[in-house]
Amino acid sequence: MLSIRDLKVSFGKTQILSGVDLDLECGECLALVGESGAGKTTLGLSIMGLAKGSSTGEISFQEKNLLALSEDELRQLRGREMAMVFQNVEDALDPVQRIQDQIAEAITVHRSISTKNAMDMALKHLLSVGLNEEKARLYPHQLSGGERQRVLISMALVNDPDLLILDEPTASLDALTKADIIRLFRSAILGRICIVITHDISLAAALADRMAVLYAGRIAEMGRAEDLIRDPRHPYTRGLIRSYPDMTTTKDLQGIPGRLAHGLSGCPFHERCTQRIDICSKIMPPQIEKDGRLIACHRGGIVPLLEIISLSHAFEANYVLRDVNLTLYEGETLALVGESGSGKSTLSKAIIGLHEPGRGQIILEGSRVIKRDAAFYSRVQMIFQNPKESVSHRMNVLDAVLEPLQVQRKGSHEARLRRAKEVLDLVELPIDDDFLKKYPHQLSGGEVQRVAIARALSLGPKLLIADEPTSALDPSVQAKILKLLMNLQEKMGLSILFVTHDIALARKVSDRMAVMHKGRIVEEGATNEILIHPQHPYTRRLVDCAFGRYGMENAEIEMMVEPGPVALEKYC
Amino acid sequence: MHVDPIGEISHDPLARIGLLMLAIITLMAIFAPLLSSYSPHDYTGEIFSPPGMDHLLGTDSMGQDIWVRLLYGARTSLVVAGAVALLSSSLSVLVGATAALAGGLYERFCMRIVDAMISLPTIIVMILVAAYLRPSLPLLILLISAFTWPGGARIVRSQVLSLKERMHINAARTFGAGWRHIVSTHIIPDLSPIISALMMQDARRAVFMEAGLAFLGVSDPMVISWGKMMHQALAFTYLDVWQWWLVPTGLALSATLIGISFLSCSLETAMNPRLKKDHARDNVRYG
Repeated sequence: MLSIRDLKVSFGKTQILSGVDLDLECGECLALVGESGAGKTTLGLSIMGLAKGSSTGEISFQEKNLLALSEDELRQLRGREMAMVFQNVEDALDPVQRIQDQIAEAITVHRSISTKNAMDMALKHLLSVGLNEEKARLYPHQLSGGERQRVLISMALVNDPDLLILDEPTASLDALTKADIIRLFRSAILGRICIVITHDISLAAALADRMAVLYAGRIAEMGRAEDLIRDPRHPYTRGLIRSYPDMTTTKDLQGIPGRLAHGLSGCPFHERCTQRIDICSKIMPPQIEKDGRLIACHRGGIVPLLEIISLSHAFEANYVLRDVNLTLYEGETLALVGESGSGKSTLSKAIIGLHEPGRGQIILEGSRVIKRDAAFYSRVQMIFQNPKESVSHRMNVLDAVLEPLQVQRKGSHEARLRRAKEVLDLVELPIDDDFLKKYPHQLSGGEVQRVAIARALSLGPKLLIADEPTSALDPSVQAKILKLLMNLQEKMGLSILFVTHDIALARKVSDRMAVMHKGRIVEEGATNEILIHPQHPYTRRLVDCAFGRYGMENAEIEMMVEPGPVALEKYC
Repeated sequence: MHVDPIGEISHDPLARIGLLMLAIITLMAIFAPLLSSYSPHDYTGEIFSPPGMDHLLGTDSMGQDIWVRLLYGARTSLVVAGAVALLSSSLSVLVGATAALAGGLYERFCMRIVDAMISLPTIIVMILVAAYLRPSLPLLILLISAFTWPGGARIVRSQVLSLKERMHINAARTFGAGWRHIVSTHIIPDLSPIISALMMQDARRAVFMEAGLAFLGVSDPMVISWGKMMHQALAFTYLDVWQWWLVPTGLALSATLIGISFLSCSLETAMNPRLKKDHARDNVRYG
């Protein structure tokens, strides 16, 4: 078994690894993911004893501390007990030797065996990775990338090592070759300790049981690979997954703001994190394990921004919301979908306080909302459907954007003016005096909606409730407004509750989706999963209709003489 | 849509005529002492003298100069019109707006009072009140206001109720704005077309009622009023005197009423785009 304790590696003054702890049992495969420069390869090289920098800590493998071993002892281990498949298939092979000879050499280094036998063994291994005798007599440059990769794998496996480290093993391969190689790896890693270093999340998911997300030399999050991908809890993990295109990804790709930097005080991710608090820049967060998930975050991972607990609302005796439960996390978009009259708008208005909710609780950042005061409204803001109605026709652009700041009496007049220009700039509107003096009827619908968004942003909210924000706009303007919202989310970590009846739209902008029907949330989950496997019959109908399948089975209103109670209760 | 009512009505012929009429009446009232050489209460000697150089419209049965009384009568009409318009419309806005904003029991209470006031027969109650109290100009203003505000309150309430649900007011609420901010920055400006129309209507009714009551004899004997002049003139229709006693007074009263009507009609059109033919599309927000 391999166990790493507080491994620190630095090159000169830069600390590349700053305290990594890992435990791997035999037969376990761990994927190390993270951006370039996160320290993934350095960790792999350190285990192999190949890292150039100065290392402290402990790497114990087969009851030996690898860091304390001499170069000779390490060489004994390398290739025999532990092997690494390197990233660059072009450079790892000797161009002037036939591949069979190279593999035979790898065998003879560690065993006293005749050259003939070694050659035979080499051929056997090459055959087992799917190459034939002819190929075995070729030089590396005569092989394709996939074939060279196979050679490297057979070379790594030839001495039956206990520890196998794969560094970006499929980075340069096409999809079909990659699939072959992955199948090969699956059998190769059986019974060994395996570490897969990659930034390819789908590869990690295909090979590894566990996944560790490395950021600036520290493990940010570690847990079962599947869980981590489906439900990332560290903001960095979520950022990585959001920026990785997958065949089931539906939301537009989003990046992570800023760039990776080593040697920051406090949490290494705090500068790019949208949910940072004061402590994040001061103290390194401890790694806390909970439910089989290791997370290094002062806030315990992505925080739930808004929780709604059994909220009900009635207009007189008519229940519009029945026992609604919903959680919205920091920095995510939750699409609230459903037909008109399902209670979507009522729910959003109940959250913001335009309707006094009947029963239930609304919890914002951990504390229950009882009174909606200035502090509440500076954290939660709303964008309305028709921008020309939501912005007073008596106010020019500047007045409109200044209004929330005036209401909340924030700062001096100059500070407000500065803030107004700042948010207008944020929504990509001009800030010259000419534009500031324009009235809504002098602007296009898209521009007025941008003004409305700027106005909502001026108080610096964390949660934006968008009630059909683009349904009054034409498609090209809609696309721009949605892009803008996504960019703002990426930049500011804005959580968006996106209320819409348009599933196709929700698909592109949301991380998660909640389906409302007759005042209830009938289904909630990751957007791609809901769209691929809708569970509730109502969701199925919605998705079918969104796909343009208008079969009779989708009809709710059937031509009946007497609609019996059974028909009415059909989808409840 | 943003409207500039002054700019809009300056091009409207109807408004120009109305304004012109009102301006002439107002100038007559203001410069009454300069336009005449007598006091309206003076006996100038002869009674029923026909119009001439001494008396522009002749004299009445008491020997008072009719032209002078016509000028001072304009003062009464305009003072009543202005005072009632202010008092009545303020009451309307106060009651109507607070009822709509506060809602609940208070709203029901206010609106039932409004209903009760509207169902009272105005003229009879006024005559009765005037019979018990000594009629005077301030009392008359109070009385007329008391009977004109309820109608306005209804209109203001319904308007505020619909304004309250406007998206931009909801938006202001989502900034944490209190009712004070909403009323002063959103509701009052949006109510201004209604308020000005209301004031015009109140002024017109006030002029008419004052004249009417005076005609019926409900008025301070010391106050010169067109209504009273017409009442007195009617007693002498068998003489030629009605031609320069009754007709000019009636014309002055009509001119005032028509002037106010024209102006209010034009103002309403300007401020309510729904009434405008060429802006049929932008109407929604004025509802």
